[in-house]
This record gives sequence, structure tokens and C-alpha cells, in this order.
Amino acid sequence: MALHEDVTCPLCGLGCDDLAIEADGATTSPVRTACALADGFFRRGAPAVGPRVAGKAATLDEAMDAAAERLGRSRSALIGGLAADVDGIRAALSLAERIGATVDHGGSAALFRNLAVLQRTGWSVTTFAELRNRCDLLVVVGPDPTPRHPRFFERWVAPPLALLPEGARRRVVFLGGAPSAEARQQLAGVDVSEVPLAGGDLPDAIAAIRAALRGHGAEGPAAALATELREARYGVIAWSAGQLDTLGADLAIEAVMRLVREVDLITRCSGLPLGGMANAMGANQVCVWRTGFPLRTSFAGGTLRHDAGALSWEHHIAECDAALWISALGAGPPDQNPDGPLILLCGTGEEPPTEPDVLIPVGTPGIDHPGHVFRGDAVVALRVGALVSRGLPSVETVLQGIEARIASVPAAGGAAS
Amino acid sequence: MRIRFRNGRVYDPANGREDATADIHVLDGRVVEAPGPGERIDEEHDLGGRIVMPGAIDIHSHIAGGKMNLARMLMSEEHHATIVPAEGACLCGSGIVTPSTHVTGCRYAEMGYTAAFEPAMLGSNARHAHLEMADIPIIDTGGYLVLGSDDLLLDLLARGERPETIRDYVGWMLTATQSMAIKTVNPGGINAFKYNARRLDLDEAGPRYGLTPRAILTALARAVHDLGLPHPLHVHGCNLGVPGNVATTLDTIGAAAGLPLHLTHVQFHSYDTEGDRRFSSGAARIAEAVNRTPTLSVDVGQIVFGQTVTASADTMTQRGTAPLAHPRKWAAMDIECDAGCGVVPFRYRDKSFVNALQWAIGLELFLLIEDPWRVFLTTDHPNGGPFTSYPELIRLLMDRDYRLARLAEIHPEASAHTTLGSIAREYTLAEIAIMTRAAPARSLGLRDRGHLGPGAAADVVVYDDLPDRRAMFERPRMVFKDGVLVARDGRTVTVTKGSTHVVRPGFDDAIGRVVARHFEERIGIKAKHFAISDDEIRGGDGPVRHGARGQG
Ligand code: SF4
Repeated sequence: MALHEDVTCPLCGLGCDDLAIEADGATTSPVRTACALADGFFRRGAPAVGPRVAGKAATLDEAMDAAAERLGRSRSALIGGLAADVDGIRAALSLAERIGATVDHGGSAALFRNLAVLQRTGWSVTTFAELRNRCDLLVVVGPDPTPRHPRFFERWVAPPLALLPEGARRRVVFLGGAPSAEARQQLAGVDVSEVPLAGGDLPDAIAAIRAALRGHGAEGPAAALATELREARYGVIAWSAGQLDTLGADLAIEAVMRLVREVDLITRCSGLPLGGMANAMGANQVCVWRTGFPLRTSFAGGTLRHDAGALSWEHHIAECDAALWISALGAGPPDQNPDGPLILLCGTGEEPPTEPDVLIPVGTPGIDHPGHVFRGDAVVALRVGALVSRGLPSVETVLQGIEARIASVPAAGGAAS
Repeated sequence: MRIRFRNGRVYDPANGREDATADIHVLDGRVVEAPGPGERIDEEHDLGGRIVMPGAIDIHSHIAGGKMNLARMLMSEEHHATIVPAEGACLCGSGIVTPSTHVTGCRYAEMGYTAAFEPAMLGSNARHAHLEMADIPIIDTGGYLVLGSDDLLLDLLARGERPETIRDYVGWMLTATQSMAIKTVNPGGINAFKYNARRLDLDEAGPRYGLTPRAILTALARAVHDLGLPHPLHVHGCNLGVPGNVATTLDTIGAAAGLPLHLTHVQFHSYDTEGDRRFSSGAARIAEAVNRTPTLSVDVGQIVFGQTVTASADTMTQRGTAPLAHPRKWAAMDIECDAGCGVVPFRYRDKSFVNALQWAIGLELFLLIEDPWRVFLTTDHPNGGPFTSYPELIRLLMDRDYRLARLAEIHPEASAHTTLGSIAREYTLAEIAIMTRAAPARSLGLRDRGHLGPGAAADVVVYDDLPDRRAMFERPRMVFKDGVLVARDGRTVTVTKGSTHVVRPGFDDAIGRVVARHFEERIGIKAKHFAISDDEIRGGDGPVRHGARGQG
């Protein structure tokens, strides 16, 4: 039995590195996480399932043979999920290039709402440590992020404002959302208020603040918030794109960015997108540096094609002729099934809800093996460690094994060699 | 594996060879003395009088890290327009001004470059930069850690901590981030911008800490010197791009007070305010100061006409130039009580007075600075233009007629405002070999690179001696990296793995407690988790370590 202190959590992108986890044989159990998500994530036992091909128990080699055979003859495969560490993602991109597949992360929808705004108008954002030490006015746009990022307020908003002059106080305003009981508890001692949407939607509410900033529409909560932003030393406007209403999320984010930039001409103000569950940020970063494009990129025909609409996994899974789904960080299998075979690399060690063609249990970065994941602010890369040895291969090992098998037989054609 | 290069005309300035007809012998990736008679040669290349140089080294090129990925995403149109399909040994990729990692390694190697250094690695983003550099094939890499606006350093300085403490802090940070050198970017300015200061002059006290950029710069230059780092403090000064900044730059040189300094992309810091447009060349004044200050080196940061994207930790300056963005979009980040980044696309036009004069100022600097050991060929990639324009730049430096022809094409008033037309100097091949090989290796303390003496890494480049120097340097006949033929006639033929270089100075570890407390209380990451271990570098290969001056 071993108690691991100062464990880094790879799960939601907040990068907490103060967890205590107990390891006993093949079992890990949380001792101190202060987080319900992490509690579930770090509670692992011996894997309940082994590799399977067409529902029958197989060795790892047989499963990799079967995966290679199915992927090797595919012409438009999807490599999705990508809930893996950086080395796993690198291996996924190499395999995608080998077989001409399309890559996407299972949780990329939120990421692309933000990217659309970045690519249209640009981006003015900050990171967690700046928020913690410098931000005297935090505006949370939309729903409380606590369900997805349980320790956000505790770790990044509740601590003292160390880098502002003594006496500076922090205010938190929820615009169009309300703090949960947990959020309120974490924010005890911080001045918290709510500005409900006055009949309209989020983009309307932000437009009203922008108008007030320019001196139009002088009364009401929008005007008060405009004044607060103008008078703050360092305002931060945060949102969790995955929790915004699908329709109009882009518009709301773009409106936030415009508001940030208008305030930033007067005093300092930055945006803060929250997200990055299951290393979505890392998957995108590696894809950008390796290809020059974000996720939702295809390697078909030995070249690159990026299309944020048509190449999303939700679209492509219906059209692909084979799908490899990677969920080492426990995001689970896709909620749609491909027409062709599904090869599932699964990190939970538990029975998947429906039987894939090939099932390969893999290790989880941060539990079974060390690895790198990106924090949700896209700047900080974290190294997570190994806590137990359950004999599970890493995503990288499995994908390299599959790629080597495909490389050793003549290509089916169409793909890069 | 033994290789012999016969009948080459060798340019190896570090070993005093200029156009020396000689054979080069290589054993297992290293240059060796000629073997005794009867020794088996596995591979022989008769160079028939072709020119041989060591692999070139780029001392300042933004090739990896968060700001480059941000630039790639922002410049989506460029990437769609510049897709590189997989071909031969090369994987696919995209981008010219912000190429993807594979393209970066291949393009450098194809031009005879065997190393490039990322000059603006933020501590908080260093792990990302290293993960990304591991995916750059063939060439060697390394990063310079940005300090000077980090709240802990400013706090230590404001509290009047002793130079030894500052030295130890710098040593701790350099080691923890696996860096090769220390850079400062608009010292204090990035921090001041977080307190809403939009400008900070060299002798102006910044907010909160009350420190001047001069005080920060000199403290860092001293720490770098006391640690014995081979490369001097790498300085991106105050007031980048501001007309009249030539005075700031001269003051910055003065501030070093005898300590070694490297001023980077000095072209952007050599602007005077004469003439109707209040924008003129300060190149002659800067060159004169460089010529009389032997402890000073510079790289130019030449601009190249066309579309590019500027990416810098200097948020203060980038926020100021954002309204000039072309296309009209830009990105800015404040980062981790550490620094920041600003990404602003830009198109330099030869018919614009200001851009044309910037172009001329860069060339004036190259031509007026006398000592090629102290001026390096850079475009501050991609800020002045992509690194793939180096062959064109070499031609401009080596070929006066070509230079005059180009000068005749730029904005006429700009050409009237530069002395470029009257400068007769043409760089020699020996000077190019110094500026792109021997001098950067010496400046960085890379003892086994940048030369072809026994013990050197077998980074060997073979050129045809073409009168068109651009064509010559664009497509070397053969490029060997560590003894492996990686490119032939400007095409990659073998994709090898590069290495990452770091410096490991000695310092007093006791500073670790101060750093740990800062990380615990403010940064929200434990210092022990912030520190990057050797097995995280280059996919587990670990770094190539270099000692401080005087160490082994
Ligand atoms: S908040 Fe996020 S990073 Fe922190 S422990 Fe919970 S799941 Fe892990």
C-alpha cells in the first residue's frame, strides 16, 4: 500500500496537483481530491475486461492484428475520441497519416466554438495564475462552470489577490447564470452577485453592456456592469463554451471578445475560456503543431484537409468506413456507432455499453503510466505520473503496434506511405 | 561508418580555413583526423572543388511554443493555401511563415541549416515548447528562457535581494525549463502592461515594483555573466518599432556597462526621427556603437516584403501595433505572472515608405557592422519574414548589383533616405560562413558545432559555387547531419531525429525554497511539477548538456 501525495490530475483541464491517492496492488483510491470528478476518476480496480475481437477474448497481439487488418483496408477512417496524453495523440496522428484518416477529439465541439471566434476576429485572453493574483472583477458568462471544473473557484478565484495593492477586493458577477451551492461555498468571503438576462439572450445582454460602455442606455444592471468593468484594474470575463447553448454560442463568445477589447482600451480586461476536459486542448495543440491545422483534419490521399464542419467526428462517423476511438482518459465510447468496424481503446477497464469489433483496454495517463496533458488555458502542459502497474499498455504502445503491422503489409492505396 | 569528402574547398572559419582545399573525414557522425593508410572508407564523395561548410545555425527563430500555435490557428487562410502533401521522405504539413514542425525541420535542413534556436520560451510554456521541438525532425534545437517581467524576479529585485540571489533564481529557472540561454523582452514592460501601462522607457520606473527596465536588464546581464552562461543576455529592448528608439538602443548598450550583451532584431530598434515623415534610419549610429563595443553582438531581424505574422512576448508593443494588423485580426495573452504573447499578422510592402526603409535599415546594419563574428543573419522568423528567405538575404549581402537593382524598386523616398546605395561592401563566402556557422556556435557555446575540425559533429554542407548566391544557398548539393545525408539538391532524403541543447550552470540550490513558496502561494502549480526533467526532452532521449564557461 502506498500513499501518493501531490498527484496531478489530468481530467478537466484545471491542473490540480495537490491530490492524495492511495495505491494498493492494482487498485487506486482517492484519499484527498476535494473534487467529485477526480474521486471517480482515481477510483480504479483491476481491469474487468481484457482485449476482445468480435466479442471473443483475445491476446493483445491478436487484437492489434485485428485492428490493423480493419484499419489497413479502410479508406476514410475516423480516429476519434483522442482522450489520451500527448504521446498517445502523436501516435494517433502518425497512424492517421499512415492510413489517410480524419482526426477529432470527442469533446472538440466546445473548442471549435472558441476557435471560430479566434479565427474570425482574434483573441484576447489570460491564464489561471493571472486570474488568481490580479483579477479584481471576474464576470462569469453563462452557466456556473463548477459541474465541469469542480475546483475552479476554490483554486483560482478564492485565494488572495496577491499582486494588486493592499485593500483591493475581488468581485465575481454571474451574468445569465447562477452559482451552484458548491460555487457559493468555495467563494465564501468573496463578493458574489448575479445579473440575470433581462428577457433576451447572452449576446443581447453583452450588447447592452457594450452600449452602456459607449454611453448609451444609461440605467440598469448592464450599465452598472459596464461601470464596474471600466473601474476594475484587471477584469476577466470567463465562459465555458461547452456549457453555452449550442445555438448562438459563437455569437455570445464573439460578443464577449468584442466587449473585452473595448474595455481593454480603457483599463485591462481579458477573456478566459474554460474547457479542455480529457486533454482536448493537448489534442488540438499537437494537431496544430504537427499539421498547421486544428483538429477535424483529414490525411486522406497523403495530403491535409481541414474542415471544422464536415470533418467533425459527429459528421464523419456516419461516413467513415472504420473508426478507432480512443478514450484512455475515461471519456467513454462515442454515442453514435459507425457503419464500419469500431475499434475501441478504453481506459476505464470496464465493460463498454455495446460490443465494439475490437476492444483493447489501455492504461490511463496519470494512473498507469506517466504522460503529458495540457491545462485548459492552453499554455501550461502538465506532466502526470504513474501510480500503479496494472499491466495495461499505453495508447502510444498500442497505436505504434497497429501502425507497425499496417506498415509491414502493402498499403491498400489512397493513403500516404 | 567512415566517410571521406575529397577535393572540397573548405570554409571553416573557426579553424582558420578559408577556401582551403582539403579532405574531411567522418567516423560515426563525427569529424576525425585522416585515418592511416589501409583504413577502409565506407562512403566516398568526390566534391570536385565544390564548397564545403559546417551546418548553419540559426540563433534566433521562433519555431515552437504557444505563440506559434496561436499564430498557426490565426493564420488559417495561409495554412489552407500552403499545404505540403507527403512526398518522398517527407510527411505532410503546411505553412511558410508558421510552418508545421515537420516542414520546419525539412526546410531548414534543405537550406543547409542543422540547428535553430527558439528565442522566446516562457517558463510557463516551456514544457509545451519542448514537446513541440521533439517533433521538429533533423535539426537540433534549444530554447531561450524569457525573464524580466516575471513577478517573482521583480519582487526579488524590488526587495533589494543580493546579486547572488538573483543569479541563483536565474540558474534555477534556466535549469527547470531546460533552457540554453536567457532572454529578456521589453524588461518590465510586459509586467507593466498588466497594470495598464502602455509604454515604459528605459529609465522609467514601472508600476508596483518601481523598477526601471535598465535596473532589470543590468541585473539579468550580471546574473547571466555570473552563472557563466556562454550566450550573453539576449535582449529584445524597450520601444520596439518606435521612431526615435535608436536613442533607447544606444542607452541600452550603455546600460550593459561592460557586461556582454546580445541585442536581437536590432533592425526594429534602429529608428530615428529625421525628415518630413519623422522616420529615418539610425543604422549608422547603431553600427558605430557595435563596432566600438567588443562585448556586444547583434542579430539583425531583416524584414522581407510580403505577408507574415509577428509573434512576440512583448504584449505592450503588440497591443500597440494591433490596429495595423493585416489581415485585421490579432491575438494577445497575459500569461501566468510570467510574461505574455501577442500575435499580429503583417504585410511588409516595398511600396510603403516605412516598410521600404525598414528593409534598407536592416541591410545597412549588416553592411556597416564590420565584424561578422558579432552580427548574425536573422529575420526574427517569422516577425520580419520567414527563415526561408535567408538565401535571398545572402544574395543581397554578397551581390551589390543585385542589391542596387532591388533598391531601385522600393518606395522612391525611402531609397532617397538610405545610404544603402553608396555602400560598396559585398560579403565574402568566408564572412557568410562566420556569420551563419562559426559565430553562432561560438556565441552559444556549442563546441562541437559550427566547425569541421576533429571532434566536431559531422554537420557538413556541400554547395555548388554558383554566381547566383541565392540559388547556391537555397539548394545545397548535399547536407549531412551527424554524418547522415539528410538533403540532396534542396530536397529532404532522410528524416532523422534532432537533439535539444541545454546549458547546466552551477548555482546555490537554496533558492529552490523561495521559488517553491512562490509557486505554491501564487502560481498554483508546485515548483517540483513546474520543473522539466531530462526524460521529457526529445521523447525520452534527454538533452545535450553544455557546461557554463570554465566548466567541463
Ligand atoms: S477540478 Fe479538475 S483537475 Fe482539479 S481535481 Fe477536479 S477534475 Fe481534477
